[in-house]
Amino acid sequence: MSVISSTRTRPRSRWTPGQIVLTLIGTAVSAVFVAPIAAALFTSFKSEAEAAEIPPHWLPEAWTGQAWKALLDTGNITNWFVNSLVVSVCVTTIVLVVSALAGYGFARTEFRGKHLLLGVVMAGLMISPAVLGVPLFTTVQQLGMVDTYWGMILPQCAPAAMVYILYKFFQGIPRELEEAAFIDGAGRWRVFFTIVVPLARPSLAAVGIFTFIASWNNFLWPYMVTNNPDLMTMPNGIATVMNSYGIQWAQLMAGGLMAGLPLIVVFVFFQRQIVAGVAHTGLAGQ
Amino acid sequence: MGQPGLNRRQLLATLGGLTVAGSFGFAALGTGADALASGADTRVRYWNLFSGGDGYNMIAMLDAFRAENPGTDVKDSTLQWGNPFYTKLAMAAAGNRAPDLGVMHMGRVTGFSPGRLLDPWDVDLLAEYGVREADFNPALWRRGVIDGELYALPLDIHVQLCFYRRDVLKPTGLIGDDGKLVPVTSTAEWFDVLKEARKATKKGLQTIGLWTNDQNFQWWFFVAFYTQLGGTWFDDTNTEVTFDTDKATQVLQFLRQHVTDGYTIPGAPTGEQFVNGAPFTWEGNWSVPVFSGAKLDYGATPLPPVFGRQATHAESHAFVLPHQAGRGGAANDGAHRLAAYIVRNAQAWAAGGHIPAYTPTLSSPGYRKLQPQNEYVSAMDHQATEPKVWFAGSTGVLAQDLGPIVVSSTMGSAEPDAVARRMKSRLGTLLAAKNPMDGRTAAQGGAAA
Amino acid sequence: MTTSAQTVAVPARARTATATATVRRKQGFQHGGWFVAPFLALFALFVIWPLLRGVYLSFTDANISGDGASFIGLDNYREAFQDEMMWDALGHSAYFTLLVVPCITVLAFLLAMLAHHIEHGKWLWRLCFFAPFLLPSTVAANMWQWLFTQGIGLFNHTLGIDTPWLTDKSYAMLAIVIQTLWWTVGFSFLLYLAALQGIPAHLYEAAKLDGANAWHRTVHITLPLLRNITGLVIALQILASLQLFDQAVVMMDFGPGPELSTRSFVQYTLEQGFTSYRVGYASAMSIIFFVLIAVVALARMWLLRTREEGTR
Repeated sequence: MSVISSTRTRPRSRWTPGQIVLTLIGTAVSAVFVAPIAAALFTSFKSEAEAAEIPPHWLPEAWTGQAWKALLDTGNITNWFVNSLVVSVCVTTIVLVVSALAGYGFARTEFRGKHLLLGVVMAGLMISPAVLGVPLFTTVQQLGMVDTYWGMILPQCAPAAMVYILYKFFQGIPRELEEAAFIDGAGRWRVFFTIVVPLARPSLAAVGIFTFIASWNNFLWPYMVTNNPDLMTMPNGIATVMNSYGIQWAQLMAGGLMAGLPLIVVFVFFQRQIVAGVAHTGLAGQ
Repeated sequence: MGQPGLNRRQLLATLGGLTVAGSFGFAALGTGADALASGADTRVRYWNLFSGGDGYNMIAMLDAFRAENPGTDVKDSTLQWGNPFYTKLAMAAAGNRAPDLGVMHMGRVTGFSPGRLLDPWDVDLLAEYGVREADFNPALWRRGVIDGELYALPLDIHVQLCFYRRDVLKPTGLIGDDGKLVPVTSTAEWFDVLKEARKATKKGLQTIGLWTNDQNFQWWFFVAFYTQLGGTWFDDTNTEVTFDTDKATQVLQFLRQHVTDGYTIPGAPTGEQFVNGAPFTWEGNWSVPVFSGAKLDYGATPLPPVFGRQATHAESHAFVLPHQAGRGGAANDGAHRLAAYIVRNAQAWAAGGHIPAYTPTLSSPGYRKLQPQNEYVSAMDHQATEPKVWFAGSTGVLAQDLGPIVVSSTMGSAEPDAVARRMKSRLGTLLAAKNPMDGRTAAQGGAAA
Repeated sequence: MTTSAQTVAVPARARTATATATVRRKQGFQHGGWFVAPFLALFALFVIWPLLRGVYLSFTDANISGDGASFIGLDNYREAFQDEMMWDALGHSAYFTLLVVPCITVLAFLLAMLAHHIEHGKWLWRLCFFAPFLLPSTVAANMWQWLFTQGIGLFNHTLGIDTPWLTDKSYAMLAIVIQTLWWTVGFSFLLYLAALQGIPAHLYEAAKLDGANAWHRTVHITLPLLRNITGLVIALQILASLQLFDQAVVMMDFGPGPELSTRSFVQYTLEQGFTSYRVGYASAMSIIFFVLIAVVALARMWLLRTREEGTR
């Protein structure tokens, strides 16, 4: 989103009294937002006894990596991490391919029943595993995909919203660009891959980023369709499988951070792209 | 962009491509990383619901089994107790991807559609591994038998107990010469005990932990005291509700009074309070290792017979074979061997507070010496259980429906007599409801095995 | 597989055709369908079919094991409409929505204004306000479950109070609302921020010349220009909030909360399907919920359309 990156080009600002007040407010509010994550981080370095102490305190009195060590020793968490990665990468790849093709198909090609189909797809925006979870589960059960990677992956791969976003984008590409290529003798598919896809890179990145975040963080569907702890993703495993020692807050926080920190670290590095991606996909709903 | 940038880009693209390819390859393989890594001949997948002290003991027993059976790899998974566990077990069985061995509460077995979601035990194979019917309390063994087949192999009985701090109560005279809590036979006596105990309680602590807003504990306590009053649920044919609202009201008022008289702080963490010096707490026997681990000077009796008759809520953990279309082979054999091993070597389990189902363990001098187990082992003879219908059992439909209603009375958001009437009407609805698994009501034998 | 075969076949055919754009477009008529085919296959299998299947199942007494379902007409719907528990659950979801939507909209707007107007360290504010949204729902819920736990929780400790957030029915839903605000406000915040940055600076400068102060500029320029985005934020939030599930079940240890006070519609539906194994009944509730969501979505479209007509 160019509007966001354009902030960089503003003239250097001065520390006016108004700016100082605003910055102070911003710092205070930010502190509130960061506090829970910081608390979780600190707690993950406490001993289990200290983590459950009454009254609680913010910083560990005795720093220890026991929670992290125990977490990695149990082994489940690394399994889940791999599973999360496998599922999210597959979902993102399939969604990108499938929705780019469909978005382009709806925007630029003609075929019988196109408008009806487009209407049906738009209606699909209203359906999610939360709305139709039980029938979706029985469908996947019929396909014999309960407790499989594909059972987790494929139902996440038909996002009407992403098709809609790319459909809107492809509609905005000047037809002249394509037509010039047609005149040079290129076919529909070659035009798509050599001209349209490169033009759509920012939009595809936005869709990809948004899909990856949504899939990495998805809980409800993997929760419904996986029972085998070997196959669970991070959000699901952390919530439904406890290690055999009861709720151990230090370990739970360490596990949560392992699930949550990768995206936050990635965010720090790719902030502009991610912000643009989320804003872009969100705003497309207008 | 210069040459280095291009290289970096190529590297990134290659890495990305490899990740994508690897992910698809992994997804195509379909097994988790752990299963891939396992090199053992036999892999027994075993799901249980044991956390806390039980978790430690179960793992210790599994490690002992692993040491004796190096050819068998046990992959144990602990799922969150309650709904998630039963949901996942049922769905895994329905989806034909069930683990080789599972643990369930005995009360849930009848409603869990034996034959459809559960497979029967091979009794001969069990005998080969040293577990025979003769080694169990006959009534307990029979609870696991449905249509002539054994579906649940009992591991233990677990009960609700009244834990008390000997050290805290010493000055009050509530501890007898034998070091045990003075007997209580009526509600009036019980509240006198609490009144005395309050005097010995430190500031900021409650006199008794009651799990006032936990729908499971409140339900279990209700079942215990309602049984003490001789209350019944349904007639013998399961066609009519015989629930006695007067008796229920009495029980609800009794539970409520702990709150109104200020003996309990609603919502306060019960275990932590007890460890910090609250004189009483009502908990399951699974808290024994927690309190023993904290080196407390404490005792534990069955819930006090305040309505004149001994009875405390009891359930039983049992091993089950979740349904697999092609059950058999080495994994099935391993499941039998593992279950038999744990049932026979349940000494550590008994130390965890549970009353062992395997009578050779129960009658061993080692068990009889355990403290405070020997103080409550009598609970075995005074079990208060839920009615034997398909909707009963730990976190079953019955408990889920009635538990919150009991809580609303104890917490004071509804009047006990109104709550008792609501319970009765819910019981009527449930009795008329069909077991979704076989389409039969409780009266039609929906699960009255 | 079909698509990759097609990529090879189509250009070959295209080369022989007359090289004018109009003809090319007609050609699209033949194979345009292949572009949408992969998506439509997935869409049909995992969206349309479950919907149809849900409608079918809702007229049966199907159970989770997938066999022996018989047709029972409208019984499930009749039961659902008389099921107090379902209405309670719907009430909880609605109550949650009612609390969350206005709070999140206002908060997101304020945060966006703050981040937009502070001129130093913009990336830092963005990171701080948005980071919670990047956490998986269950992780964010676990964190707050721990913060809210009486005794060991830092929330009460920091504020110097002793509120039974998770164990008292008058606070439990509030606890979930607070958690949700913290966790999801970042998304709406970003939408507002993007919209704010899209407002041309010359509008403000013109107003400044006319002597409008910051307050007036906000009320008379910013707010009207953000009307569309506010509508979008509210609509997205309503749809998301009605589908409350993840954070509520995790914070309540997969139970229905104190005295059933946090059991959402989605949770009750899934309990009926997966805990009580009543797939038929759960499907009927799913269909009811689908209709409800559709009504909300259509109402929004209708509102948008009438507004557009009004401005024309």
